[in-house]
Amino acid sequence: MSPESPSSTARKTGFLGLASAFVRSLFLQTAWNFERYLNYGVAFALCPVLRRLYPKEERGEALSRHLDYFNTHPYMGSFILGAVIKMEEERAQAPKERQKEKEEEINALKVGMMGPLAAMGDNFFWATVRPYCGLLAVTLVMTRVMGTSLETWVVPLLFLASFNVVHLGTRLRGFVMGYQKGDQVVLSMRRIGLQEAIRGIRTASVLLVAVLIVFVNREDLEGQPGHFLLKLIFFIAILGLFTFALHRRISPAQLFYAAVFFALLLNYWPTLSATPGLPGIVSPEALPSVGITPP
Amino acid sequence: MPYWLPLSLLLGLLSLDVTAIGQFMVSRPIVVGPLVGLVTGHPELGLTLGALTELLWIADVPVGSHLPMDLCMLSGISVAFASELVGRGADPAAAATYALGISIPLALLSTEAELGLRKFHVRWMHFAQRMALGNHFKTFEGVNTAVLLELFLKGCLMAFLGLTVAHATANLYFLLPSPVVKGLRDAALWLLPALGGAAVIDLVLEKRMALTLFLSMALILGLALLGHLQSAELVGLAVLSGFGTILLMAGKGETS
Repeated sequence: MSPESPSSTARKTGFLGLASAFVRSLFLQTAWNFERYLNYGVAFALCPVLRRLYPKEERGEALSRHLDYFNTHPYMGSFILGAVIKMEEERAQAPKERQKEKEEEINALKVGMMGPLAAMGDNFFWATVRPYCGLLAVTLVMTRVMGTSLETWVVPLLFLASFNVVHLGTRLRGFVMGYQKGDQVVLSMRRIGLQEAIRGIRTASVLLVAVLIVFVNREDLEGQPGHFLLKLIFFIAILGLFTFALHRRISPAQLFYAAVFFALLLNYWPTLSATPGLPGIVSPEALPSVGITPP
Repeated sequence: MPYWLPLSLLLGLLSLDVTAIGQFMVSRPIVVGPLVGLVTGHPELGLTLGALTELLWIADVPVGSHLPMDLCMLSGISVAFASELVGRGADPAAAATYALGISIPLALLSTEAELGLRKFHVRWMHFAQRMALGNHFKTFEGVNTAVLLELFLKGCLMAFLGLTVAHATANLYFLLPSPVVKGLRDAALWLLPALGGAAVIDLVLEKRMALTLFLSMALILGLALLGHLQSAELVGLAVLSGFGTILLMAGKGETS
């Protein structure tokens, strides 16, 4: 790189710099720390960009500007990263007296966008898309949709494919959109319609839970529908109890031990095991098999 | 356990996916379970136990500064341990519950280790800041590699420790009286799926969707009972109607 002053020529990141920054954005959370969260990740991703934009003596200062507190959702961070690269280019091309102003704009964009994007990403990816993809895979396993030897491969691959299409699509689209729009990226994001997608996917999740509920009790379905209904009602009552407990912030680990304790209790309680309506809970032969078979 | 070392390395590598690299979700139980099962020779047990673990912790998400349970370690250790028990003649469902129960504290330990390292990373970050100010780009970027190596070693160590401790409790399982074994079996086949379903409902259900749940359950139930539809058809139906809803909603969002 020639040691020209930044204002004399138009400095560009170039395709290689952008691609390198995009790959490095996968490491956004590597040095997650309790003081400034993802700050190192952002600075690390911007290294190839800053190398191309600034002469050697200005790079250290530019890098240090990006070590302030930063925390967002790792996937949605690519929107910010793309926009920051665009704005760094503008800063590198701006005349000396406007550079300070540009730096403040970059910081304002990062600080202003990280909170809302984190909320969107948490809601969309962690609380909607991943549970849906996971639930789909789990339902396929538990309802024994496929042949036994095939699904060991197909189900995990289906899970990875369905999730990563959305994941990598968002990362790539966010990065490109951020780079194209710069500080206007916020306005363009309104058109994505995440909220509608969230509601749709959640409806689908609820439907899948319904399939799961019916088919965990499936064994009796083929034989005695009356028995099946009684057991289903009991199952749904327990499900409601668990939902209430989870709603009261009791952790899944605690509820796991509670469920095991409850199962042991049922086996040591002679009156319960003698109840004619609920033999399925205590006698293994009447139990639906969720598919754990000896290999 | 014969596969200790390769399993520790595999779990160390996969655990990087949890936060450090990319989050491609290869560290989720539904993937780790069958992978570890493949190594230990019980892929089906791995898949089923992985699916159960995935379902139980489906709502445990990293929102805010909450660090969820280390599911990579949990499923890795529990599947390896359950495979060992099944290999020695244990009932698969009961062994799955037992292995999960033993592995939960070990996974919590791994989560604590992760928390400790994140406090330690503050030092790495300050070192990196000094390097940035001093214009040492190469050293600055080297911090990333160093942290990755550190996290990989943590994963391997935690997996090795977990496998060792779990293995030590293997004989205890075979001392359990038969009603206890039956109870563990019941839990795996019936109560734990209920807990998993509750986790999903707690995560996704909004008040106005309660009606949808009831109607769709009635629909699925009706189709299963009266229409004699099989699971494949019902799952397909659920997925298709889900996609339909998404397209409908997304279409509305695009035009409004």
